[in-house]
Amino acid sequence: MADRFVSSKTQNLSAMKLFYYLLFFSTTVSYGQTVVKGKVLDKKGHAMPGANVFLKGTYDGTTTDSSGVFYFKTFEKDTVTLVASYVGFEIAETKLSLKEKEISHQFRLEELANELNTVVITAGAFDASDEKRMAMLKPLDIVTTAGAAADITGAIQFLPGAQRVGEQEGLFVRGGSGQETKVVIDGMIVQNPFFSSLPDVQQRGRFNPFMFKGTSFSTGGYSAQYGQALSSVLLLNTTDKASNNGLGISLNLANAGLNYDYATKNQSVSAVAYYGNLKPLFTLVRQNVDWLHEPEFKGSSLTYRLKPTKYGVLKVYGMYSDSRLSMNSKDPSSESGKMKLDLKNRNAFVTSTYTDQWREGKWLLNSGFSYSRNKDNMTFDAANFDRFDERTQARLVLTGLLSGNNSILFGGEAHIINLQNGVNGKLYHLQDRYTTVFAESEIYVTRLLAGRVGVRGEYSALLGRFNLAPRLSFAYKTGKYSQVSLAAGQFYQNPDYRYLYRNKNLNFERADHLILNFQIIKNQRTFRFETFYKNYAQLVREFTGQAYDADPYRFPWGTTSNGGHGYARGFDFFWRDQKTIKNFDYWVTYSYVDSKRLFQQFDHSATPTFISHHNASLITKKWFDKIQTNLSMTYAFTSGRPYYNPNSKEFLANRTPTVHNLSIQASKLTSIKGNLIILYASVDNILNIKNVFTYRYTPDGKTRYAVGPQSYRSFFVGTQIMLSKKAKVDKNDL
Amino acid sequence: MKKLFITSALLLVSMISVFAQNEKYVQAMESSIGLLNKVDKAKNDPVELQEIANRFERIGTAEAKEWLPRYYAAYCYTLMGLSGSSIEEKDKFLDKADGLLKESETLAGKPSDEILIMKAYAAQIRLAADAMNRWQKYGALFTENIDAAKAINGDNPRIYYLEGSSLFFKPEEYGGGKKVAKPLLEKSVAKFSTFKPQSTIAPQWGKMEAEWMLSQANQ
Repeated sequence: MADRFVSSKTQNLSAMKLFYYLLFFSTTVSYGQTVVKGKVLDKKGHAMPGANVFLKGTYDGTTTDSSGVFYFKTFEKDTVTLVASYVGFEIAETKLSLKEKEISHQFRLEELANELNTVVITAGAFDASDEKRMAMLKPLDIVTTAGAAADITGAIQFLPGAQRVGEQEGLFVRGGSGQETKVVIDGMIVQNPFFSSLPDVQQRGRFNPFMFKGTSFSTGGYSAQYGQALSSVLLLNTTDKASNNGLGISLNLANAGLNYDYATKNQSVSAVAYYGNLKPLFTLVRQNVDWLHEPEFKGSSLTYRLKPTKYGVLKVYGMYSDSRLSMNSKDPSSESGKMKLDLKNRNAFVTSTYTDQWREGKWLLNSGFSYSRNKDNMTFDAANFDRFDERTQARLVLTGLLSGNNSILFGGEAHIINLQNGVNGKLYHLQDRYTTVFAESEIYVTRLLAGRVGVRGEYSALLGRFNLAPRLSFAYKTGKYSQVSLAAGQFYQNPDYRYLYRNKNLNFERADHLILNFQIIKNQRTFRFETFYKNYAQLVREFTGQAYDADPYRFPWGTTSNGGHGYARGFDFFWRDQKTIKNFDYWVTYSYVDSKRLFQQFDHSATPTFISHHNASLITKKWFDKIQTNLSMTYAFTSGRPYYNPNSKEFLANRTPTVHNLSIQASKLTSIKGNLIILYASVDNILNIKNVFTYRYTPDGKTRYAVGPQSYRSFFVGTQIMLSKKAKVDKNDL
Repeated sequence: MKKLFITSALLLVSMISVFAQNEKYVQAMESSIGLLNKVDKAKNDPVELQEIANRFERIGTAEAKEWLPRYYAAYCYTLMGLSGSSIEEKDKFLDKADGLLKESETLAGKPSDEILIMKAYAAQIRLAADAMNRWQKYGALFTENIDAAKAINGDNPRIYYLEGSSLFFKPEEYGGGKKVAKPLLEKSVAKFSTFKPQSTIAPQWGKMEAEWMLSQANQ
């Protein structure tokens, strides 16, 4: 019994011992402790204060002091893992054997890949984005640029690489014509990005800039994901969410509209309806165009967004618009010098995209389906020139994100395009089935050096031909804030469909791009320089056996071949400073291009009429906090362009005068009874300069007409009212 | 008998060890929270906050199942996001906070109003870092998290403090200002007066801040 008592007492004692041991284990300082000390440095050997150093799985550890030194004691025995961590750096671990009284270790931490230490492939791309930190513009910069009239292409034409061509719509990039740039929304080519073309009157884009969260303007060397554009692609990405909940009213000198947004957690709907009539504006602003029926338009759009899964997003956007106008356009070839034009346009566009991701974002899917239909009922002096086009397209892209920033993508597209043109009662019809497959990979050799290799194969059933276009880019980080990039590639585009009505044996037209880029982005200041060389091949030439016909609306009836060629070379730079003066932002752009082509009816190589050697612009924005007003001013300079003078011995040797434009825009935010109101006003061409874009000659060559803007000095006022109290607006909405 | 005694002794020891471990956790948390409470919220000294964040992170790695250490570390980084010297630095701290909050969400197992509130707070500070360009995205994220927190526990006073502070700093023209913020701050202060934290280490920050802001709104 006593024996048992003793034994149980011993056990009890040993239990007590264990208990006290456990209790003291963490709190008391006594013998048996090991000192762990050392230093934490970065790869360059700089001390890292504030780093966390500890033994894995224990409470033992400390923070490094101002010289990166750590020192702590531990009761841990045997083998432990010593860890050092710091925000933005890779965690470092080392196994230590705590046999001695003092153990010393030095860590060298490596920075995680981030925007500052990792190169980004940028040659040729100019981004406006909230998400990308390398972006040079924000989406709102587009709507706050004076002289752009809240039109996307209106703002893009002030960017480096773009040339301004006042009498035509489209983006003219580095020696390319307006047809050589494609507008792409969420990956889908937009068949009719602008309102129907009119003789010598520039048209606006059909899309509201507020629809988009990001814009990427490529001035060349673009990704294998896109094609059918010899010069450039303008990539627009729609927003994923409705920003407001409620009703809005917009009212200005040109139109009245209503918009309604409704969003729940996983779904949102935005509806827009508008009616516009330019008669009031044209009564107030003197017109250079002789309007018989001022443009009148109505339209509506509906956007539906659904998040069926955590990362899946379905977007459906549909729009319909209807417009009519009538004008006397200048026609040098007719006796009266003018020609009556009637235009009635109906345009519909439906696009749906679905994006999703799997395996923690390692695989991304982008898919889309769209349909567009456009009909122009047009008469020139009662002769019928109806136009019709229709495009159905499907697209699928799968992207895999691999380790170390590397990625690979594959995809394909299929398009069916139907076109009809009425020419003096004769109806031409064409159908093209265009299919493409592409693959591209981004490879990071190191964080400082990256490459993008892509290839695109295209087949056009109409041409009965296939092409294979390689694309290649490299980027190398030269400093903390600077990098150089190089891009090269081949780009194919179907010839202008008007040639194909008469000759289906034509081949693709081709451009080869080589671009070198240098940029520094530091402390809200950006400098970017690019130089380029482009080679054009297989351009379509037309042989009429007659004198050159400068009428841009003539129907090409001559024999055609792919015997044309050409080049474009030049450089451009961009400087933006948002830092030096508070609430003041400005950017300066200069573009130089030298280009010659042998194409269309040219019988020898010459600089095309849409080329201006020098384009410069200064854009400034100032925010006045007290009066909640944003004031912006834009000055743009475009050097003279070649024009055709039948009396000149040398072909396209004459130049128009330079074009200057100074415009301002002010927008103010206020509220009445809780409803937010934005008021805006703008004046274009304040100095009332009588700019000339080109000249046209009568057939006898004796008289010439100057083609200028639709109006000289002009103004515009409007308001946007948000009736919902929940609507959230910031100064950036202006 | 002997067997029983050994068994109960062993049970006792293991209970004690669990208890000791738990007590050690609570003590470590309490002392770190104590340091955090002493931080001058007008300055949010990054050196001081980094040291405290590191403490919470160390507790977090040792107590791999607890969500609170990560939550508090995220709180430290969120405050550092407020005092960072550049947008890049602020984002670096807020990225870290977001990562820690994601981890604590997983550990918490079920939706927690406190984690959602901290997510809203991080979004609010990210918005403030570059309000010109971020209000749209982070404003929506803020509201989304606040609404989700309200659905779980509408009595959490920190919800109304954050809502109030977001209006407090927003100019009147955009529907903000002291007047609009005041009722929310009052609501927050009232809810704080009856708020009982579930434990000594459960989140309880914000009272002082709400009271200070309300005093400013009353001026």
